[in-house]
Amino acid sequence: MKRMVWLILLVLLLPGALAQQLREQIRKYTLDNGLRVLMVPDKTAPVIHFNLMFDVGGVDEAPGLGGIAHMVEHMAFKGTPSIGSLDWAREKAALEAVDKARADLDRAIANRASQEEVQRLTTAFNQAREEAKKLALPNAIDQLFTNNGEQGLNASTGYDRTDYRVSLPSNRLELYLRVYADVMLNAVFRSFYEEADVVLEERRQRSENDPNGALSEVFLRTAFQVHPYGRPLIGSREEIQGYRADKAMEFWKTHYHPNRAVLVLVGDVEPERDIQLVRRYMGAIPRGPARPNLNIPAEPPQAAERRATLEYNAQPSLLIGFHKPTYPNRDAYVMDMIDSILTEGRTSRLFRRLVIQEQAALNVSSSSASPGFRYPNMFTISAQPRAPRTTADLERLIYEELERLKNEPVGPQELQKVRNQTRAAYLRVLQGGPGLAQTLAFYELFFGGYQRIFEEEAIYNTITAEEIQQAARRYFTPQNRTVATLVTRGGSR
Amino acid sequence: MKALWSLLIGLLTLGLAQGVPADWPDPFKMQFQRLQPSAIQPTRAQLSNGLTVLLVEDRTLPFVNGRVYLRAGAIFEPEDKVGLSGIFSSVMRTGGAGERTPDQIDETLEALAASVSVNTDNLFTSVAFSTLSENLDQVLQIWADILVRPRFAQERIDLEKGRALEAIRRRNDQPTQIAVREFVRRINEGHPAGRISSVASVQSITRDDLVAFHQRFFKPNVAVLAVTGDFNTQEMLARLERALQGWQRGEVTLPSFPPPSPKPSIYFVQKETNQSVIYMGNPTVTAYAPGYSELDLVSRVLGDGFNSRLFTEVRTKRGLAYATGGAQTQGFGWPGFFYGASISRVEKTAEVIEIMLAQFRDLRERPVSQEELELFRNNILNAEVFRFTSRQAVAERIARTQMLGLPADYYEQYVRQIQAATPADLQRVMQQYVRPEQFVIVVVGDRRQFDKPLSSLGNLIEVPLE
Repeated sequence: MKRMVWLILLVLLLPGALAQQLREQIRKYTLDNGLRVLMVPDKTAPVIHFNLMFDVGGVDEAPGLGGIAHMVEHMAFKGTPSIGSLDWAREKAALEAVDKARADLDRAIANRASQEEVQRLTTAFNQAREEAKKLALPNAIDQLFTNNGEQGLNASTGYDRTDYRVSLPSNRLELYLRVYADVMLNAVFRSFYEEADVVLEERRQRSENDPNGALSEVFLRTAFQVHPYGRPLIGSREEIQGYRADKAMEFWKTHYHPNRAVLVLVGDVEPERDIQLVRRYMGAIPRGPARPNLNIPAEPPQAAERRATLEYNAQPSLLIGFHKPTYPNRDAYVMDMIDSILTEGRTSRLFRRLVIQEQAALNVSSSSASPGFRYPNMFTISAQPRAPRTTADLERLIYEELERLKNEPVGPQELQKVRNQTRAAYLRVLQGGPGLAQTLAFYELFFGGYQRIFEEEAIYNTITAEEIQQAARRYFTPQNRTVATLVTRGGSR
Repeated sequence: MKALWSLLIGLLTLGLAQGVPADWPDPFKMQFQRLQPSAIQPTRAQLSNGLTVLLVEDRTLPFVNGRVYLRAGAIFEPEDKVGLSGIFSSVMRTGGAGERTPDQIDETLEALAASVSVNTDNLFTSVAFSTLSENLDQVLQIWADILVRPRFAQERIDLEKGRALEAIRRRNDQPTQIAVREFVRRINEGHPAGRISSVASVQSITRDDLVAFHQRFFKPNVAVLAVTGDFNTQEMLARLERALQGWQRGEVTLPSFPPPSPKPSIYFVQKETNQSVIYMGNPTVTAYAPGYSELDLVSRVLGDGFNSRLFTEVRTKRGLAYATGGAQTQGFGWPGFFYGASISRVEKTAEVIEIMLAQFRDLRERPVSQEELELFRNNILNAEVFRFTSRQAVAERIARTQMLGLPADYYEQYVRQIQAATPADLQRVMQQYVRPEQFVIVVVGDRRQFDKPLSSLGNLIEVPLE
């Protein structure tokens, strides 16, 4: 990795021959089933950082099944017939009995059966679950990796993608492949309904009892009225309560195939040797169908400002967003530069104005690609007022700074500073092992190949002050704006 | 749908019983050697002013990173000025230094895409830099100015105090934040680690206080610098001599404090929320005392990850939490604590508390299985290679070990004890150090929705939110 960063830095400073050298370090293989495999040798320590990323996320969910991608992410940790079952034939039958008991119960509820009948079927459902649990080891995948010294075993689901991460001592490569090939072939969604309860707790924790999570949900719902970016990624409470194992398995089966995934290995690898092992295991997974045409509706252009308030038991906070295009549209890169100009570092415009000069905000931050990047997304600005200043004060100050961006070209020094920062941010991402694995997976899956990572700097370096001014004028308009405000419940602010 | 799926898999894998080719190994039987990391040994040197320097050359990258540690920990703040160390570290970095104004420092560093940062925790204040090696002299000079000649500009003190007061105003917004604060406060009661800032304590902080804190602790002869990257060791030492000339030796005496003496109770904070945040535990031993390694190991059985007792009982089996776990904290200078935590739906609050307490009790009453012990022992031993993925992290770890006066083979001793631990050892330390009947329990939640009054579980003290 360290070698990587050195080379990438030179790429930034001296494009040409050295970029070629780095590209030559990365090995890319495509298996017959369509799985793309990237390997990046780094001998600093005898470890490998793995990232397995699928082009599946919240946008792929059917209406009413909100959050099912996230639920399936949880379920993929539950094991397979050979990982986690004490007796597969019996467990399989027991899991089918759970599904049947759940279906019986659902039917009774739908048919408005008597309370006694519903109670009886609920008891039967719970008994079936207990029977199935007796035949399984609950967390066998985690156990295998824990035993072998894992670090950072985790997964995450976004609107656009899902990734599974773990770092292991490098001689455990075959264990990793044995486990994940099996998961992709034979995932068993055991303890499904217990896990749905866990996800409900996760929803309470992240989206209901956290003021930032609650405000973000309101904001997205207001900004995206048609496109799935407006739905809560974790699902609504009702949707989570409505999850059924067969529907979840159907979603898994529709989407999670090798031809829709990238596997990245960063660390102590020898590509020509290790690809043999990768082929043996991951190559055994059959190719699946291509991504179905989901007819995801485009968000129509916004015609007027939208505002929403959330009354909440917390101090006030402000979230402003503007619709904008995504990559590879050149304006998406321009908006990345504007992101740095506004909030990156202590000399950035909004930090200096709101936090230091006016002492009106505790903090201010922005993002140029929220909440996803695969479809047209938003530029967002978030700020917390310092009492007695209000969110209205912050709005006024922020709009003044956005007007300045529209009216005056950015000076050459500031532009150079922002380019340096973009470069530094780039290096930070590429320094860490797991971060590098994730970034490469991302570029390979969505940006037309990992090589794209070497081309972006050239794009940023050619963006002019005039383009920045034009983009600010194009997107920072009142009618393109959504404003969500957290108002203290029962408070005067 | 499900039947069809099973059938498809059956065909694709030629009807194998468990869906994988017959020549694939059983993953539970796969054997691997424990990898030995190649240790990184920094060069050790001393500057003429007494500063200890640990250096690791690494010429593969055009970067240099450094961090100097001082024993200016938050626990040494004056008792009536809690919050001082936070203001101190912010303004040390942002309040100008040497000949430079606050803005000049920010502008120079940002133009060079370099960074200098100041951080304070309970034990240390550290001042770090990160730069391209071609800008080393310039960045080293700014870092040295911030370290030795901070200006503490009054307007930046006012700014950071105002932000700290706003943070206090906001610190009851999130139930988890309230619970963590109350738990750390209650379990460290009687020790400075249990103090929390207040509007009055922050308002009372003056520039003189910051200058005095700096003069009291920032002496080269009691500091250790870890520096790694693209340099020649002898040249680096000469550069450091130049940059740090004028930094005078001095005597630093660290006060000692009595250990925490918490009052066992259920501390309850009323908050309108649909989940309760629950923390429970008691202080145990320092990280270098007999029993620590075994407590660390048994705390993993209790609360480290998917296969721990808390995770299995609270989350996997019952779906009563997304976040649940526990650990033995590392105590340096005063005992760490052994604890568990869950965030669970409010109408199951008492049930979850009882399930959690039962896990602690069980580890006292019955030895863990050999298999369970091996799982967590193997995790510690096999993960050792990850301690050596960054040269800077290794050098910083050695610096902290020295500053705390720990033996150089502190970690090796720990590993030997982990290797030797038996189920009986784990049960012994549980019985000796972990006493559920004397726990500090903190609950943040909405009492109107509890399944049982918390007073039925023990002595209840209600903590009002300011």
